[in-house]
Amino acid sequence: MSEEYVIECENLKFFYPGSETAALNGVSFSVRRGEFLSVVGHNGSGKSTLARLLNGLLQADEGTVRVLGTDVGDAKNAVEIRKSVGIVFQNPDNQTVASIVEDDVAFGPENIGVDREEISRRIEWALGAVGMLDYRHATPSRLSGGQKQRIAVAGVLAVKPQILILDESTAMLDPKGRKEVIDVVKRLNEEEGMTVILITHFMEEALLADRTIVMNKGEIALSGTPEEIFESGETLETFNLSLPKITVLCNALRGAGMRIDNVLRPEELAEKIAENFVNRGISGGQSQKFTPKPFESAHEWDVEISDLSFTYSKKSPFAKKALDGIDLKIGEGEFFGVIGHTGSGKSTLVQHLNALIKLPSANKKYRAKKPKNGQPAPVIPRISVGQFDLSDKKCDFKALRASVGMVFQYPEYQLFAETVFQDVAFGLKNFNKNLTPEEIAQAVESSIEIVGLNYEEVKDKSPFDLSGGQKRRVAIAGVIVTKPHILILDEPAAGLDPKGKNEIMELLHKLHREWCKTVIIVSHDMDEVAENCTRACVISEGKVFACGHPADVFKRADELRSLGLDVPMTAKIADGLARRGYIIDSDCTLDDFSEKVIGLFNGEGEGNA
Amino acid sequence: MLNDVTFGQYYPTQSFVHRLDPRIKLLALIAFITLLFCSANFYAMAACAVVLFAAVIAARVPFKSVLRSVKGILFILLFTAVLNLFFHGGETLLCEWWIIKIYLESIIFTVFFVLRLFFLVIASSVLTLTTTPVALTDGIESLLKPLTYIKFPVHELALIMSIALRFIPTLIDETNRIISAQKARGADFESGNIFKRIKAVVPILIPLLISAFRRADELGDAMDARCYSNARHRTKYKKLTLGWRDLVAFFVFASLIAGVVLLNIYAQAICPEIFVYIKIR
Repeated sequence: MSEEYVIECENLKFFYPGSETAALNGVSFSVRRGEFLSVVGHNGSGKSTLARLLNGLLQADEGTVRVLGTDVGDAKNAVEIRKSVGIVFQNPDNQTVASIVEDDVAFGPENIGVDREEISRRIEWALGAVGMLDYRHATPSRLSGGQKQRIAVAGVLAVKPQILILDESTAMLDPKGRKEVIDVVKRLNEEEGMTVILITHFMEEALLADRTIVMNKGEIALSGTPEEIFESGETLETFNLSLPKITVLCNALRGAGMRIDNVLRPEELAEKIAENFVNRGISGGQSQKFTPKPFESAHEWDVEISDLSFTYSKKSPFAKKALDGIDLKIGEGEFFGVIGHTGSGKSTLVQHLNALIKLPSANKKYRAKKPKNGQPAPVIPRISVGQFDLSDKKCDFKALRASVGMVFQYPEYQLFAETVFQDVAFGLKNFNKNLTPEEIAQAVESSIEIVGLNYEEVKDKSPFDLSGGQKRRVAIAGVIVTKPHILILDEPAAGLDPKGKNEIMELLHKLHREWCKTVIIVSHDMDEVAENCTRACVISEGKVFACGHPADVFKRADELRSLGLDVPMTAKIADGLARRGYIIDSDCTLDDFSEKVIGLFNGEGEGNA
Repeated sequence: MLNDVTFGQYYPTQSFVHRLDPRIKLLALIAFITLLFCSANFYAMAACAVVLFAAVIAARVPFKSVLRSVKGILFILLFTAVLNLFFHGGETLLCEWWIIKIYLESIIFTVFFVLRLFFLVIASSVLTLTTTPVALTDGIESLLKPLTYIKFPVHELALIMSIALRFIPTLIDETNRIISAQKARGADFESGNIFKRIKAVVPILIPLLISAFRRADELGDAMDARCYSNARHRTKYKKLTLGWRDLVAFFVFASLIAGVVLLNIYAQAICPEIFVYIKIR
């Protein structure tokens, strides 16, 4: 063995019990000390299985894994191996054992018999390394996803491993949390010389590594530096992966005759584009203007919200103001985006729209208070959805919920029935007790078909036997089965791989065209909103910060950043170009942006200097 | 539905009682309850009341939240009090109506009974209001330590308690989410007869169970990855240490024990016969 390699895998094969197909089929690779390796692959490509083989949580059926020269296959070495290889898993909620941060970080060192003073030093070091030292005595359940995941990293670090594996540890986080975790890992690699294996399906994260391995169907499909991998272009898509958006843009611009190498950061790309302009003799200018269609209202199924405020656990020491004077209009036929980071109140807002959270005035016990002498009358929050007045206690809430469908985050976790058919029919039967079995079967069939599943194939299956993506589709079918006019989805693409994400967004557009009048998505992915929505609003600290066409919303890039929100990649590049004197006025989608840049490049801009 | 559940009763301030060692508080509660049931006369009971009152003051928790715990048992308290009052029996008959006979002794017995339960509940709520569930777990683990010598799995028990505590808020969130999701699909949990309601819970319970098992699986992996094994050479980071406050509390309770014993023995000599409860039995 050579000292240089910390992990050596040879011809690994692994079969899950009862499965005919190999989860891993002959995987060989080595990892150098201090290397930052990223492993990408679609869901089910075997990348998580690989992580578990590396620290002996699973044992390979064939082949060997050596960590620092020790054979992982030998059960006697289990504790030694786990001391050297730490894994951080996907779900930030399911990795902590204690209700106090420092107790949780202490868990690993306690297990290997470290003495008290040393544990204390390690807690301090590990929490410092992830930037959570101030939260030493905090409770994990009250922290944000990114913070929880940093605690999980600290818990692993406290064992002092030489190799850190992150098994899709960012998949369930919002962009802010994702950045927090990635920054921590990157710093550990650079400053502490930690060997890092980052398993992810976010291409943008894979780019940060020294080397990338692409997994497909249990095999290593590609291996090389990130630049080399993304050079290979279209082949990536055959592995169910998508190119990073920036690479797509580079390719489009190159196709139009611009001289652009593959770059990975928006700022670099802006610089490259500007160079191209200068070389063409275009020293400044403006692309064709983009004018968003004005917002027109007054349809049958408009949503109007005024003066909406809401406080959780009112009158208790834990009271938390979630919404603070929201005024918002969503017109019929829109594909509306609600943006905000976790805890901004966006989920609370949409739960008002189908009266899962009722307005105070809709409560049975509600009596209007008379204003006290000399004081202005208190503002009464009002919401109307179509002809439903949600502030009225006589409102037919059941009919409202049939008209306003709501798909929660990770909706597949709410499946419960024995067969897909029964689960999808659940809502329908609840809302309308007088349907004949034929009517039910027909409605269920058409809703299963429209979400892209084969009715005959899945109807009698247990929903729990389906794949992750299929489960989500079944869950969506279970909501749209009542033909709601308005469909609300909370983070519909959360936790999916890039291909799954695209498919879900396509599905939503299809539903928007053929099934529901209005689609409202709650999202923290700015690119997703920019690409898909006709209008969007930004919620921050319970208030509407901005509302309008995505292009207008994202023009306030600096303010959005100060709120801890990101902007789409196109807005970042446009920003970089604007500082160099080139104004690209696009609707923020990738297609329109590249078109406008190419237009300017070809001298079709407005008022060229 | 579960929105207002703030787990445990812990009331966050930094009072004298809050900062006591959880072991001292646990032992003090046990001692106090024992004393309540050993107090043979009103003087001893008054001594207990004084200490309890002092503890409530020192804990600096709102009186309302202390009394709230009594509300839960108010009905049982009144019901048994009335039964005792009417049917306890005794020697000195005060009044009689139909089958109900009220004796002087039954009045004294009832008063003692009510006071005992009342003090017991208040004392327990002082403990839970001032001690986090985590600290309680640590305290219990530490107090049970000697049982390891008879192979009792103290550490495992403590870990189970700790994990349970850790997952309660997570599972409450999850339950709320599932309830909302099923409500959005028209599920009705609030009307219908008992069978309908039980049936209505199925769409909540099944996803919740599945999710709990999934979480348990993942947690098991995460614990394994952090070197958890049943090996014996485990160390413990958290160590409870006694401070001057604990010493003060110890002396207060030591004097209370001594006081109650002395009052039980000698108060008979210095007080009117009617207050001596022990004579009745």
